[in-house]
Amino acid sequence: MADNDNILIQVKDLKIHFFTNEGTVRAVDGVTFDIRSGKTLCVVGESGCGKSVTARALLQIVHRPGKIVDGDIIMYRKKGQNQIEEIHISDMEPKGRAIRAVRGKEISMIFQEPMTSLSPMYTVGNQIMETIMLHTSVDKKQARERALEMLGFVGIPRPERIVDEYPFRLSGGMRQRAMIAMALSCNPSLLIADEPTTALDVTTQAQIIDLMQGLQKDYDMGILFITHDLGVVAEIADNVAVMYLGNVVEYSDIHTIFNDPQHPYTQSLLRSIPKVTATREKLEVIEGMVPSPFRRPSGCPFHPRCTKAMPVCSKIEPKTISLNENHQVHCLLFDDDVKNSMRGMAS
Amino acid sequence: MTEQIPQSQPGSTDSNGKPLLEVHNLKMYFPIVKGVFGKVGGYVKAADEVSFSIQSGETLGLVGESGCGKTTVGRCLVRAYKPTDGSIIYQTADKTSVDLAKVNSQELQIYRKDIRMIFQDPYSSLNPRMNVFEIISEVLRVNNLCSPKDMEYQVASVMKQCGLRPEYMRRYPHAFSGGERQRIGIARALVTSPRLVVCDEAVSGLDVSVRAQILNLMEDLRRDMDLTYLFISHDLSVIRHICDRVAVMYVGKLVELADANTLYTNPLHPYTESLMSAVPIPDPNVRDRKNRIRLEGEVADPSNPPSGCYFHPRCRYAKDRCGTETPILRNLGNDHFVACHFAEELALNGVQML
Repeated sequence: MADNDNILIQVKDLKIHFFTNEGTVRAVDGVTFDIRSGKTLCVVGESGCGKSVTARALLQIVHRPGKIVDGDIIMYRKKGQNQIEEIHISDMEPKGRAIRAVRGKEISMIFQEPMTSLSPMYTVGNQIMETIMLHTSVDKKQARERALEMLGFVGIPRPERIVDEYPFRLSGGMRQRAMIAMALSCNPSLLIADEPTTALDVTTQAQIIDLMQGLQKDYDMGILFITHDLGVVAEIADNVAVMYLGNVVEYSDIHTIFNDPQHPYTQSLLRSIPKVTATREKLEVIEGMVPSPFRRPSGCPFHPRCTKAMPVCSKIEPKTISLNENHQVHCLLFDDDVKNSMRGMAS
Repeated sequence: MTEQIPQSQPGSTDSNGKPLLEVHNLKMYFPIVKGVFGKVGGYVKAADEVSFSIQSGETLGLVGESGCGKTTVGRCLVRAYKPTDGSIIYQTADKTSVDLAKVNSQELQIYRKDIRMIFQDPYSSLNPRMNVFEIISEVLRVNNLCSPKDMEYQVASVMKQCGLRPEYMRRYPHAFSGGERQRIGIARALVTSPRLVVCDEAVSGLDVSVRAQILNLMEDLRRDMDLTYLFISHDLSVIRHICDRVAVMYVGKLVELADANTLYTNPLHPYTESLMSAVPIPDPNVRDRKNRIRLEGEVADPSNPPSGCYFHPRCRYAKDRCGTETPILRNLGNDHFVACHFAEELALNGVQML
């Protein structure tokens, strides 16, 4: 992939499996992407496609029985002038010191439901100060000042009052702002946002998205944004990874994904959303549903629902094929070997 | 042109006479109880003087941010709540009118089968200890609508209509996916052959591909079973897709009501305009839309609403009059109802059609 200067995180062939009593679930099955500073990568997909697990792997917070079984997560840390240090997050112990120094400092995360991810037992200020004091050598007073500054920064009115409030006293939008304040308090180079606006109203969602985009510009931060809302994707993404059952089925820049999608799943997904700008007509649907992870279809996992499925699709697992340097598709339709063998059969 | 609400009813009265449901000045106040002695310290006005009507066969959308009272209105219609005041006039199948807000629970029972509800969360709205047959047939059993002999046939046919396989009748909800559970919820609502279905965020919890399936299913069922929907949602794209007319609520009050096309392209209330402007449009080519409106602040507290127009603290067109005088919902022609003092003077932007 093009210039390697501002790559923050590189994920290579990541595999995360869940070892349950009913069998092994391949939640993430060979995912490759990279995130650059100052850019937003959106991961889109339906529930159960592995988007959250992928994001959690970057912080080594995949819960048991899940385990990273293969692949590499490399973080590039700027070290002085023109020196870049490679850090292999995938090799770190989930409970070790090394990863704990990364969490909240270089990579931080905001979650979907700000009520469940903030502790109800501590004030908002306390929780922000905890992160600051863990990662920087400041005393309590300075940490509190920093917390106040952060709260004001994310647009919370009267931060000197809110800082001593408990989370339940705040509205959903304010809680999400407090979460963002906490996540940004140590100037992370990467912010992972797991459906941060899904539980919010459209008006609040617009405010939060504006806020995140503003902060990204100011700090040149990379954002990994997970969502299922294609409208939000169109607003904020620079690059998009579309996931289906543990695979990135298509990866490209935002304009290619929306204007010239190649994978049948991306195409159907885009056609199945009701649009506020279009009049009433029947929606195209993707037949069937996301299969149970225990009954993963053979070959290409999308083939039972695919409109362009060929007989080989149920037999061969597709490889990732580069259409150009910034457009990858995970589909047999574009595989030259398959094309050739089909031509061979026909003649 | 401008008329006062109690006399004129928002909603077109078309050829077939009276609307299926007429809501007049519906009020639902929840008391705020303070202290151990249960002293009432005030009221949360979840729905305040809401008036609208639903014609037979149409789909009326109800939108607004969370906490604006849309679910409360829906629950009043199915009489899950007894309204504090106001009337809900329902036209029964034999052309008589009943005020559902006044009837007692015993009389209400005969109308329970006519007005049904579909809920948002397909996980928490199905009892995990009952199998699909028990869930769907429960309403038939408790209301004695069907002989035990026919029950299985009835359940099977409604399951088939909703795209479920009747063979799975004896399975429990956990065996089904989210989309299938929502189909079970729909089947449960439709088994009594209702006339009005209140859909409270019926597709909000679903994945994109499944949502499209359910929306199409609901549209097909509406045609086949001659249903009328009240469709409550915060998702303006979904509302746009399924509704004929749309009502917008803000802090317990109706602020605008018009047919869907007019409301989306030519809103008359500043709140509607800002809602439209906040909707993310799934097209990266329009992402840098100029003049997007960003609402400041939060939805007002319904127990302590601002004076005058409830929206005035967040409204960018607010003038002095807005802080003192409460606007009434008035008809500006073509059954476009709006509650704003300056509706005629403002030039507001809707959604640009692509």
